[in-house]
Amino acid sequence: MTGKRRWTWLLGVLAMAAGFSMLVAAYGAAGTKHKTAATKPIGTLRAVIDTIDYLDPQQAYTGQSWWAMWNVYETLLTYKHVDGPAGYKLVPGLAQSLPTVSRNGKVYKFKLRKGLKYSNGKPVKATDFKWAIKRGFLAQGQGVGFYTDIAGAEAYSKHPTPGGNIPGIIVNNKKRTIAIKLVSPRGDFLTILALLFAAPVPGNTGPEIQNGSIPGTGPYAFSNYDPNRSFTMVRNKYFKPNRFIPRGTPNRVEVSLIGDADAATQKVTSGQADYSNGAIPPDRIADAKSKGHLVLRDTANTYYFWMNIREAPFNKLKVRQAVNMAIDRKAMQTLVWGGLGKSTQNVLPPTYPSYKKLSLYPRNVTKAKQLINQAGANGATVKVWTRNVSDAVTAATYYTNVLNSIGLNASLTILPRATYYTTIGNVNTHAQTGWARWLEDYPHPLDWFDVLLNGERITDQDNNNFAWYTNKKTNKEIDQLKKQPLLTPAVNAKWATVEKQIMQQAPWAPWSNRVFPEFFTKQIGCIHIQRLYGIDLARLCRK
Amino acid sequence: MAEPATDFTLDSAALLAAEEHEVPIVGRSPTYLAWRRLRRNYVALFSLLVFVLIVVCCALAPVYAHHVAHTGPNEIHATEHVRVGGKDRQVVGGGSYFDPKTNQFVVRGVSVLGPTWWHANGRFVLGADALGRDVAVRLLYGGLNSLKIGIGSALICSFLAIVLALLAGYFRGWVDWIISRFFDLIWAFPVLLLAIAIGSALQINGFHHFGINIKPGSIWIPLLVISYVLIPYIGRPLRGQILSLREKEFIEAAVGQGASPLRIMFSDLLPNVASTAVVFFTLIIANNILTEAGLSYLGAGVQPPNPSWGNLILSGQQQIHTAPWLAIIPGIAVVLTVLSMNIFGDGLRDALDPRAKVRVEH
Repeated sequence: MTGKRRWTWLLGVLAMAAGFSMLVAAYGAAGTKHKTAATKPIGTLRAVIDTIDYLDPQQAYTGQSWWAMWNVYETLLTYKHVDGPAGYKLVPGLAQSLPTVSRNGKVYKFKLRKGLKYSNGKPVKATDFKWAIKRGFLAQGQGVGFYTDIAGAEAYSKHPTPGGNIPGIIVNNKKRTIAIKLVSPRGDFLTILALLFAAPVPGNTGPEIQNGSIPGTGPYAFSNYDPNRSFTMVRNKYFKPNRFIPRGTPNRVEVSLIGDADAATQKVTSGQADYSNGAIPPDRIADAKSKGHLVLRDTANTYYFWMNIREAPFNKLKVRQAVNMAIDRKAMQTLVWGGLGKSTQNVLPPTYPSYKKLSLYPRNVTKAKQLINQAGANGATVKVWTRNVSDAVTAATYYTNVLNSIGLNASLTILPRATYYTTIGNVNTHAQTGWARWLEDYPHPLDWFDVLLNGERITDQDNNNFAWYTNKKTNKEIDQLKKQPLLTPAVNAKWATVEKQIMQQAPWAPWSNRVFPEFFTKQIGCIHIQRLYGIDLARLCRK
Repeated sequence: MAEPATDFTLDSAALLAAEEHEVPIVGRSPTYLAWRRLRRNYVALFSLLVFVLIVVCCALAPVYAHHVAHTGPNEIHATEHVRVGGKDRQVVGGGSYFDPKTNQFVVRGVSVLGPTWWHANGRFVLGADALGRDVAVRLLYGGLNSLKIGIGSALICSFLAIVLALLAGYFRGWVDWIISRFFDLIWAFPVLLLAIAIGSALQINGFHHFGINIKPGSIWIPLLVISYVLIPYIGRPLRGQILSLREKEFIEAAVGQGASPLRIMFSDLLPNVASTAVVFFTLIIANNILTEAGLSYLGAGVQPPNPSWGNLILSGQQQIHTAPWLAIIPGIAVVLTVLSMNIFGDGLRDALDPRAKVRVEH
């Protein structure tokens, strides 16, 4: 061996040794990381949430129910378990991959993953998806309105029977394929399929409401449900994690339902619970911060006062504009939730790409009074409606005071939480103005403008358009934008224009995009927030 | 031989006694005797004094609000500043805020102005609530509303109960059957539950029938609801007494003399149950104030922003950890009022008829 060769050999050996040691170090580091997570499992998570409506996928329509059910009932498409805007990205759930969509945007084709099972061990069939949609119509579920664009669904909804057919859903159990035909293209249809209303349920599930007893396909299953008190989630032993749906860290989640925010906070500070999603009373925020771990959840929401444009005095534009000018939005953030909110005059929350900040109504009480005078509305009797929840009562009390300060004669009517929306959404109530909020169902402007402000969707009962706002031009633009398959920058700009047109007519006085305090004991770590569904159970850990 | 009939009468007994004690004996009316017994009951009189004081204070609420606190019960002063002992204080201050530089919220607690104890020219003597309203003004107005409802509903309830009891007790038969079943019907429901059900229903659209127009949010709603649900609690015992009195000779005599039913009911029967009715009236005031507080606490009574002691306790409860006085002070006011009226009512019962067992039970 020559000297040169010897050196080359030596360098080669050294390089190999260095490479090998780096490999060992990397493996060791990975091993340590894995070990850290594994040696501190979360075991049982004791959570407190304020309320749920149902634990039935075709019925539940509250953020709290969806938080729990997102981990129990999987849909064909779902959202990524990541923080921030990436959480809006649709990924395959029960489907093998994202669907193929026909050129005309009317036909969507899916294939189910292989070997899918419910928490009772029974296999998931393609027909179960069809049954879930039919079950929604049979049970008059809260989300059926989303699925009437499927071919034949409108007719089925008029006379739903278990044996009836929705011809627009074509399924093949052998091939595990599902094809969905729409009457007309709909840009938000994929997000609609990701709603829990479309989660497949076993074909023998009856249409009646079944809270927590329907088998699911997610990492957890409900083990018991005590109405208005508690429910428990345990691991689904038939669940197989994949790259989009992780296994979940707690072995068991015990959820208590406590409506009183103060009592819920107390549970965490006293160590009786690990987590509470209840609103922390404004005066206790500082105390809570020192005693636990306060995480602010920034999800898409808008709190607003609606003004019924059919009812005097809000049938006059000047009155609606005056109201928008008189509200001290900044002060309201402090008064209602201790400052944990951002003032807004927009319909859309700032998390949307279509959002373009509006400042149409700078605060000017003097001008507001002038507008009321000009409209001849001085002394007009106004009944302000709100629901019996502390933040809603506080906001509506302030609003009533504002209306009185600009010359109206306002009084407050407080309804029970359970009957509030159905009462104000009934045409016979003739509700003039009141409190409301909207939390997104899915991340698309249609979920706001089409549901809340499209005059063509006004119904006499269970109406979501509390302002009874309708405008031919706006309605037409919403309908046209509905057909756009993608939210391109140009489409987003059009949505921003629609929003401005609406707010120039001032059917709403939006006032806050709230952030929700999520309160944990100091022992809980790895807190991640999925933008749509909130605290991600899949990634929690114990410190 | 039989003894001759004696001429000894009560008058002659009085004369004999006067001769013996050298002072004339004067006949005393039952009212005088009751008053003599009552004025010796110092606890009852003190309770009456406390109640009267509370009523006077609450009645002066508009004067206090206008001339001392310079604000109304529903006026919001959250963003204002007040000089307390020479120092500038914001009524509702602090709170979290969004910092655009860091793009994050800075989390801070909200501070609400506490009691100024007359160091702010009469403003916010008992502090401010979460919306920056003057607690002292709201407490007095709340008391005024609670007392209006308590006393007003006691008047209406007692009047209706007496009329129904007189009708049932005098006419008996099917009239009594119908009125008794009506009492049974109301009696069958727990008072608070029935009041919540009726109160909540009326709060939505008010009452607009038979020429009566009551708007939602009016204090007439809790007032009338409480009057209605408590009718049998006075009506039933009174009916029992009247049924018993109806069998007495003096009523038979009145009927025999051709007295009209109205005359018998109001001239003969009513005076004989008056003492019971008066005692019930005092006790039912206390009871009604308590019922109103319960209803308002549960959201079916006086509607916010109008104050009542019940809804002040409810709103104060949300700040019990940082501003406990917001819930405690109206709570004390309810306890004092109810206790004073109950003790006075007991004293009045002892004075009017020491053997009576009058209780408001439900």
